Amino acid sequence: MAEGRVEGISKVTGSGKYAAEYKVDNVCYGVIVGSTIPAGEIEAYHLDDAKEVAGVLDIITHLNRPSIPAFENEESIKKSGFSLPVLHTDKVFFKGQPIALVIAETLEDATYAASLVTATYKQSSFNVDFDTTHPSIPLAGTGKERGTMDAWSNAAFVADAEYNIKHEVHNPMEMHATIATWVSKDKLKLWDKNQGVNNVQGTLSRLWKMPAANIEVISEFVGGGFGAGLLVWPHVLMTVMAAQQVKRPVKVVLTRPQMFTLVGYRPQAWQKVKIGADKDGNFLGILHQSKHSKSVYDNYREGITRISRMLYKIPNAKTEEATVSLNLSAPTWMRGPGDCSGAFGLECAIDELSYQLKKDPVQLRLQNLATEIDPDTQKPWSTNFLNECVEKGAANIEWAKYRKAQPASVKEGDWMIGYGMACGMWFAGRSKASAGIKMQKDGTISVETAMTDIGTGTGTGMQNIAHDNLGIPKNKIKVNLGNSNLPAAPSQGGSTGLSTMSGAVVAACNEFRKKIAELASVVDEAYKHVNPADIVFTKNGVALQTQGNRPVSYENIFAKNNLEIIDVQATSGPGEERQKYAFCSGAAHFVRVKVHAKTGKVKVDKIVSVVDAGYVVNDKAAANQISGAAVGGLGMALTEEQLVDHKLGCVVGNDLAGYHFPVNADAPIIDVSFIGKPDVNINPAGAKGLGEVGIIGMAPAVANAIYNATGKRLRNLPITPDKVLMA
Amino acid sequence: MRPFTFQRIQSLDQASARKANDGHQCIAGGTNLLDLMKKNITVPEVLLDITKALPDQIETTAKGIRIGAMVRNSAAANHDLIRSKFPLVSKALLAGASPQIRNMASIGGNLLQRTRCPYFYDTTLPCNKRNPGTGCGAIDGENRMSAIVGYSTECVAVHPSDLCIALAALDANVIIRTTDKKETIIPFKDFHRLPGETPEQDNNLPVSGIITAVDIPSNQFFKNAAYVKLRDRESYAFALISVAAALELNGNKIVQARLASGGVAHKPWRWYEAEAFLKGKNATLETFQKAAAIVVKETKPLSNNAFKVPMLKGAVEVALQNCLNA
Ligand SMILES: Cc1cc2nc3c(=O)[nH]c(=O)nc-3n(C[C@H](O)[C@H](O)[C@H](O)COP(=O)(O)OP(=O)(O)OC[C@H]3O[C@@H](n4cnc5c(N)ncnc54)[C@H](O)[C@@H]3O)c2cc1C
Repeated sequence: MAEGRVEGISKVTGSGKYAAEYKVDNVCYGVIVGSTIPAGEIEAYHLDDAKEVAGVLDIITHLNRPSIPAFENEESIKKSGFSLPVLHTDKVFFKGQPIALVIAETLEDATYAASLVTATYKQSSFNVDFDTTHPSIPLAGTGKERGTMDAWSNAAFVADAEYNIKHEVHNPMEMHATIATWVSKDKLKLWDKNQGVNNVQGTLSRLWKMPAANIEVISEFVGGGFGAGLLVWPHVLMTVMAAQQVKRPVKVVLTRPQMFTLVGYRPQAWQKVKIGADKDGNFLGILHQSKHSKSVYDNYREGITRISRMLYKIPNAKTEEATVSLNLSAPTWMRGPGDCSGAFGLECAIDELSYQLKKDPVQLRLQNLATEIDPDTQKPWSTNFLNECVEKGAANIEWAKYRKAQPASVKEGDWMIGYGMACGMWFAGRSKASAGIKMQKDGTISVETAMTDIGTGTGTGMQNIAHDNLGIPKNKIKVNLGNSNLPAAPSQGGSTGLSTMSGAVVAACNEFRKKIAELASVVDEAYKHVNPADIVFTKNGVALQTQGNRPVSYENIFAKNNLEIIDVQATSGPGEERQKYAFCSGAAHFVRVKVHAKTGKVKVDKIVSVVDAGYVVNDKAAANQISGAAVGGLGMALTEEQLVDHKLGCVVGNDLAGYHFPVNADAPIIDVSFIGKPDVNINPAGAKGLGEVGIIGMAPAVANAIYNATGKRLRNLPITPDKVLMA
Repeated sequence: MRPFTFQRIQSLDQASARKANDGHQCIAGGTNLLDLMKKNITVPEVLLDITKALPDQIETTAKGIRIGAMVRNSAAANHDLIRSKFPLVSKALLAGASPQIRNMASIGGNLLQRTRCPYFYDTTLPCNKRNPGTGCGAIDGENRMSAIVGYSTECVAVHPSDLCIALAALDANVIIRTTDKKETIIPFKDFHRLPGETPEQDNNLPVSGIITAVDIPSNQFFKNAAYVKLRDRESYAFALISVAAALELNGNKIVQARLASGGVAHKPWRWYEAEAFLKGKNATLETFQKAAAIVVKETKPLSNNAFKVPMLKGAVEVALQNCLNA
């Protein structure tokens, strides 16, 4: 097992600071007031009572806020790409939409005063009912169609069914928070919870029409993101406006109920999957259709059907999608966006087909997996060991021995036992990023990038990669992350973090070796002509591996070059390999469930996940990602559902008692393993991303196991005990 | 949160005298009250910290056991006497909340915790219990968690406590101190109310009333008692359905039975008819199934909670069966 996280001690001792925890002199507090109607216009604010509360400094509304340059008029708002022009409109699109920010000396004052703010509205009609609305929304083709639908109209076996997934909420442990301060008239500094400091910096630069260099964004520790931190949300803009208004640093921390409406969620989705096979189980064709909810003011869309074009060899494939606009806040990417929902439809449908075919679902998948060529782009996969994941997973859970082909055939008292499996796949991306290395006189280095570590282990991975490359002991490698002043990097998301950073860190290591050779040559000429790869870093200095050692001390290097610090930066990104190959990570998930015949209770008592994510840079952090994703998958499968009241037009039960993500007691021991074969084409580390793939396919594996246990095919998530009982 | 004054109370007399004043409210463990205050559902002007004034011991009495109102839920659940002679109480307590909350929560506070109906918990939604006259949001809204017996057109909320289900089953008594320094005893079945026309009133605690203890009479149910709770996740969730079952057996013959449920009504609900049916019967699966069928005869589900009927039936059967293996 690898050693723990670089940030582990800071996190468990509390010395690591999350956005809201920074002490900023003269800070005051903002509390958001949400609209109490789902649609309409604000006619008037009633602020008098709130203003009387001691300590209230100001209340900003759309009538008195400092204006955001990019929100000057309708036209510029459209161009800004920011869908909710917060405090720059009198329109209300959803209940809970921020309509005012109360700013006070203390959080308590602001909170109390915010409770006294009211508004009168002109109400308009609204719609928050996805289920009754989506049938009337037309589908449109998406992705590349293959073959024809006629070609398989006579398929020997066809599974054809509809699947539904409820609206799910990220709910990271850490509430979103922003502290904003105008350091000078044209310089802004933010401590902000997000997954990408450069993205926040760039967005604010666009909206305030000021140079990005004048905006510093710090997000050093992030208490979970799951996608909610990939966008800049209205509260961030409100905090910046407030700081402008009161000319003081302002802190805004969302409340837990606000976390349900102000930072996105996984949209509600409907799917229909029709898949056909010949009598031997070879897939002939698929029609995958989906619709998901979105907000009336936003154009979010996620590719739910994409996975059906990638995973299996299917000669005829057609995918169609649509979105359904509702008076709810905007959804966003949530762990495994699109594919996670799509895999539920696809992988359940394949399971249904397997029972029709009387074929083991493991065999059916092995027979049809497209491990050579990406069926969608027709490019060869750089690496795809999904078949090995399936084989290894089946072995680890002893599928052949325990899984019975006949549903509802294994009982222990009132408990029915069943096994299920499903596959997941996620594109293995990589972006361009920069990293820097700084060496101090004592020979310690720091590896730096603006990228955030949202709990994924990116920092630890970077340390591991630098250690592997330079041979400098890990305790002499510090990692600095999450500050927009550090070398630029994209956001931590889409499972691209480590894949992206590995390239940048290796490039920085190479640059560093070159620089050291150059600096050492001032001490010893021999270094002029060395291959930088030949340099070894020792306790006190550098030496050469092959050309007769020739040690040079750090002391000498710094002294002779008159340096206080050695500082390099390098940038690296994907290249031609993306033209030649398709890249993916894959996972096979196996679960064993117990279903109680009399009460409908479902207990997942074993999970096996086997993942192909290329070379595993840090097995502890990687396994941690996969088991966390598995628990997220359990939530999707069994417990998570945001209730929406169609008559009142809003979400209800917006707290952690009302919204049920799983707790530890719901999770069995999760047996995680990796194929571990490097993907030599993707990046220098050979590591493919693995943040999303752990959740993709988990929910269908559970649903399939419930079918195997009970003979009940449950196609609507979450599968709460009531659904099991009433099926 | 509205600014409030915080007063440390030294004696029960002081507590009940002050509690009678407008805007004064007691705080014990605070696990429910603080949530309600943060959400502006309860806005007291004065908080009376009664933690030092309340008894916090568990004692045996001539008739049974007395649990002081300030005994923490976890202390009660892990107490030897409760575990050995009143295991139903321990089981119910351990099925509730989370260890952290149980460490803070008091016995008195547990009885007085308010419903978890989502409409009650959000001041922007209609709720007759929180704001009389605004209507019931749940009755034709999200009522999956709501009642299936004893509700009214004004309110369909359920009482959230697990402990109270066990106390109802065991015929506990609530010991109350009021300003006139008299000790009032309210039998558990009469302590909580049905919503009727006044859903804002959860219980019959007098205005100046302080709960000082809960008495549980000695009983022969300790060998065969079970608590079954069905919920949306394995811990830290309120009951969809819960069943407290207890049998006194003579060989295989049921001398006496107790059955109560949570998640079904505005108050802890006893299934008297099924209890009467069980009396004198043999403790067999068939008997239990018949008892469960009698239980569900009384129920009348709402638009979104028809599932509670079969779930209740199953839970009653399982709870009675579990009594035999307790
Ligand atoms: C997330 C969460 C999950 C939970 N899950 C469960 C669960 O599954 N099952 C369950 O049973 N409970 C559950 N609980 C509720 C918990 O059991 C109660 O909050 C707790 O028992 C209340 O006790 P307390 O001492 O903290 O009461 P407080 O919050 O201090 O008080 C509650 C009320 O009682 C009044 N009060 C307290 N003591 C007295 C007294 N002696 N005399 C007169 N008035 C008094 C207060 O004025 C207040 O109105 C949960 C709570 C939370 C927050």
